[in-house]
Amino acid sequence: MQPSVGVSVPRVDGAAKVAGTALYVDDLPPLPGELHGVTVRSRVARGRLRGVTFDPAIDWSDVTIVRAEDVTPNVVALIVDDQPVLAADVIRHAYEPVVLLACADRAKLARAAAAVTLEVDPLPPILDPEAALSADAVVEGRSNLQKRYLITKGAADVGDEASLAAIEAALAGCEVVVRGRYTTTHQEQLYLEPQGLIARWDDHGVHVVGSIQCPYYVHKALTKGFDLPADRVHVTQAVTGGGFGGKEEYPSVLALHAALLARKSGRPVRMIYDRKEDLEATTKRHPAICDVATGCDRDGTLRVLAMRVVMDGGAYVTLTPVVLSRGALHAAGAYRWRDARIEALAAATNTPPNGAFRGFGAPQTIWAIERHLDAVARELGRDPLDLRRQNLLTIGDTTATGQKLAFSVAGLECLDKARADSGYDEKRRRGPVATGRVARGIGAATFLHGAGFTGSGERNLKGKAAVDLVAGGRLLIRTGSTDIGQGTETVFRQIVADAAGLPIGAVDYAPVCTTHVPDSGPTVASRTIMIVGSIVESAARKVAARVAAERDRAGGTFAEAGDRLIAAGEVTELVQYVSPDYVKWDDATYKGDAYPVFAWSCFIAEVDVDLDTFETTVVGFWSATDVGRAVNPVLCVGQIEGGALQALGWALTEEIVWKDGLIQNPRLTNYIIPTALDAPHMTTALIEEPFPFGPGGGAKGIGELPMDGGAPAVAAAIEHATGLSLGALPLSPERLLAASRRNAL
Amino acid sequence: MSLTDLESYELLHAPSLAALVALVADRHASGLHTVLLAGGTDWLVEQESRPPLPSGVEHPVVLDVSRMPELRALEVVSGEGGDRLRVGAAVTYLELRRSAVVGERAPLLARMAADVGALQIQARGTIGGNLATASPAADGVAALAALDADVLVESVRGRRTIPFSALQTGYKTSTRAPDEVLVAVEIALPSRGAPFVWRKVAARRAQAISKVALAGVAEVEDGRVTRFGVGMASVAPVTARLPTVRALALSRPIAEIDAASVDRAVEADVSPIDDVRSTRDYRLHCAKALVRAWLRQLGARG
Ligand SMILES: Cc1cc2nc3c(=O)[nH]c(=O)nc-3n(C[C@H](O)[C@H](O)[C@H](O)COP(=O)(O)OP(=O)(O)OC[C@H]3O[C@@H](n4cnc5c(N)ncnc54)[C@H](O)[C@@H]3O)c2cc1C
Repeated sequence: MQPSVGVSVPRVDGAAKVAGTALYVDDLPPLPGELHGVTVRSRVARGRLRGVTFDPAIDWSDVTIVRAEDVTPNVVALIVDDQPVLAADVIRHAYEPVVLLACADRAKLARAAAAVTLEVDPLPPILDPEAALSADAVVEGRSNLQKRYLITKGAADVGDEASLAAIEAALAGCEVVVRGRYTTTHQEQLYLEPQGLIARWDDHGVHVVGSIQCPYYVHKALTKGFDLPADRVHVTQAVTGGGFGGKEEYPSVLALHAALLARKSGRPVRMIYDRKEDLEATTKRHPAICDVATGCDRDGTLRVLAMRVVMDGGAYVTLTPVVLSRGALHAAGAYRWRDARIEALAAATNTPPNGAFRGFGAPQTIWAIERHLDAVARELGRDPLDLRRQNLLTIGDTTATGQKLAFSVAGLECLDKARADSGYDEKRRRGPVATGRVARGIGAATFLHGAGFTGSGERNLKGKAAVDLVAGGRLLIRTGSTDIGQGTETVFRQIVADAAGLPIGAVDYAPVCTTHVPDSGPTVASRTIMIVGSIVESAARKVAARVAAERDRAGGTFAEAGDRLIAAGEVTELVQYVSPDYVKWDDATYKGDAYPVFAWSCFIAEVDVDLDTFETTVVGFWSATDVGRAVNPVLCVGQIEGGALQALGWALTEEIVWKDGLIQNPRLTNYIIPTALDAPHMTTALIEEPFPFGPGGGAKGIGELPMDGGAPAVAAAIEHATGLSLGALPLSPERLLAASRRNAL
Repeated sequence: MSLTDLESYELLHAPSLAALVALVADRHASGLHTVLLAGGTDWLVEQESRPPLPSGVEHPVVLDVSRMPELRALEVVSGEGGDRLRVGAAVTYLELRRSAVVGERAPLLARMAADVGALQIQARGTIGGNLATASPAADGVAALAALDADVLVESVRGRRTIPFSALQTGYKTSTRAPDEVLVAVEIALPSRGAPFVWRKVAARRAQAISKVALAGVAEVEDGRVTRFGVGMASVAPVTARLPTVRALALSRPIAEIDAASVDRAVEADVSPIDDVRSTRDYRLHCAKALVRAWLRQLGARG
């Protein structure tokens, strides 16, 4: 049997998507009696809702109306129960849902939505996360400090209160101390398919089908929201056009809205956001402010790190604590520190809740530490990559949380490979090259990204997946892990095929519906291949072993033996994830093995900067990434290149423009993501340093990692080309012009 | 907000230009609006952000002009004053890019067309639509300004020519009457090989509205500029024609023009603003840089 793992088999879902026959949720044919649903939102960032009026010029008899008083309990179940399903009397952000409407006639529905007037007494909104920490409460009765973490190591490990003075003392003892502030902005996931789903009720309970990343999150929200037993909630994933984290927690809100309208109207309700509503109302990447101070020896040996991170959580907590945690855990970057103090805070503001987005807090802190290392290199007169190489973590080193790295650590190899591929040394030696009014420069970032849930997360999560034996010698994978465009369906088939010794064509993937597949944990955190992949691998091995035993007993092919087993009863293996024993984590002290393993990478960008207009063009991009094992090399490279391009957008052009808490550019024409023409040619090397507990011979999670290194690499390249060092994203021409004027002073 | 109304619109094709202008005039006289639809790349976007139509109002009639033969000309007309290029209002950017005669005789138009939207928009969007929408950010209008185009319009009162210099009256307004249909633009062709510039500054390489764009055409004889046209997008309420810069360029031997006087002239000619796409400061900076580069290309100092 030819192995499937390691081969770039074509994507199983590819043909239907290319041909346009894949059915995304809004392509699903209307159900009998179906209504369309819309949301009326506050449009004021903060205020008191005095009342709602419905223009009598509209005939409301065929319009279903849901308001806060129709919702009990009026809360979206997440980490903290602070977010109402519909705002009742307090408005906490500009896109707060207040009224839901449904009607069969879409044109009438649009008129009806325009005929609802919200009477709001506006209050001055709290918009600055740092100021919010000492401002009055965004959510009454709750602190604006949504979460705080403290990580200490070495000299700073003297208790919370004493740690600040201790780290300052450690800094004071260093030969070279560098301080800096680095900030990042909101970023929209901008999946191709906006959010949408269809809800209906029948004798079996509530059914929801939609564009969903984590069906069991939606399941939980509906179970709690309608106080239903688990078996009366049925959540099905439709073909999903991208998620990047944006369809992690938000679909729970949408599902509650649609299900409320469906219950009240007694009809199926379809709610599909258009791009504007999606851009305005759904979650975005948390902006962050990072203050960094480091101390090192004259020879470049890094010693002391102090970082304070403030993230803007938005009006409600949602997943902010988890994002903040990952941010804090990546703040030390890929480097050895003797002493470290990392303090991370999240603040509530009157802006829509920020949430999950590829990288999940890490890109913000890696931006800070990577930019900062460039500043340290400048201070020392060292080449930035040399400085990184000197301090990169290797086997035997311990991270800021005291995690001892024992295997699968290839940061150095990644650095050396990308450095050689890009001609970095030669290009740095030559210095920035000016052609007319265009300057060319090159810059790098090295980084790591933890794969899987943080700390004891996987142990608590107890993710499950099953493999069934099906007639004719086939296997069926049943998992709650979704394919949202990243290739899960294909890669899981490859893993299972090899585990069972079957061709990939003999493996099927069950439609993801919570009624039929087990909860494998959410499709997040770079955990799908590494964690859930290892579960399906082990389930497949168990099924295959049973078939092999039957063949030993009575002969025949895999199919014949399998069919005999099936005739005697259902053959299925449900496996629950077992966290490797070595993973030890203490949530109270934030010490131990933050992640089972890290993926490692080095990104190098080459840019042209027009010295008249300060437009930046990325003209070359090289990377080397330690992925453990590339189950499907083309898909793996696709993840890295797609993520890198998303990072280039964040670096150069993506910016939500706010005015009084309202978004000024909620459109594709003015929220600027890169197009295909903006994508540089990318040279992407995969380095395979296997993770002993990974599937397919050692795969590690790399879904989020490529989001981390793009922005700092581009900023470093711009600095090389122009001498302008920017600490704030995006690196827009307007910002570069302003920096050039500051430099000229 | 509302593309949901579209289903109720009526889409008609007029059998001839004469029938078209008659219909437009008729409806106009009774206070009714008629939409002329060419590529739809401006109009449909506008519909999306428009509030929904109240129920009961008469829905507009939409007339597809994209295939009207009179609006589809793309040819060189030779006359006494020299060769003129006629571009029908319904000619698309892609047709401009692909036309041999445009590439040879009015390469500015071809270069501009390659920078509009991306291929999909270029295949639908038209010069007439660009002119009618009259956005100060319009790329096509900037190029037509640089070429001092004549705009041909027709109504039941007959056909007339509006010189570009007499077209714009303010933000998205013009001297074209509401019932006048754009038929074509005509350009006095510059001499073969005449220097030109097209430089668009935008947030990305495609699908981006100009932060600033400069279109320019010139003829230089014996070190003196004899023809000089510019159009600049996104620096004023209308497409900026930079009269002070023009006067400066024509005033003395090109080699005697220095960067500082160019900067002063640009500052007198533009009034950019802060908006969601860029800042006044950046736009002013780019406007100066682009004009300086253009005049350097013609032989100016520094
Ligand atoms: C994604 C995207 C990117 C874009 N990028 C650019 C860009 O880079 N640069 C740029 O300048 N523009 C850009 N545009 C705007 C638009 O494409 C152009 O303005 C285009 O020229 C409009 O032409 P159209 O044929 O599509 O106009 P339509 O939308 O068909 O019509 C626009 C207006 O003109 C009127 N009209 C059309 N024909 C006539 C006529 N013969 N007589 C009288 N009135 C008429 C219509 O009634 C309507 O009011 C972009 C648009 C989109 C959607």
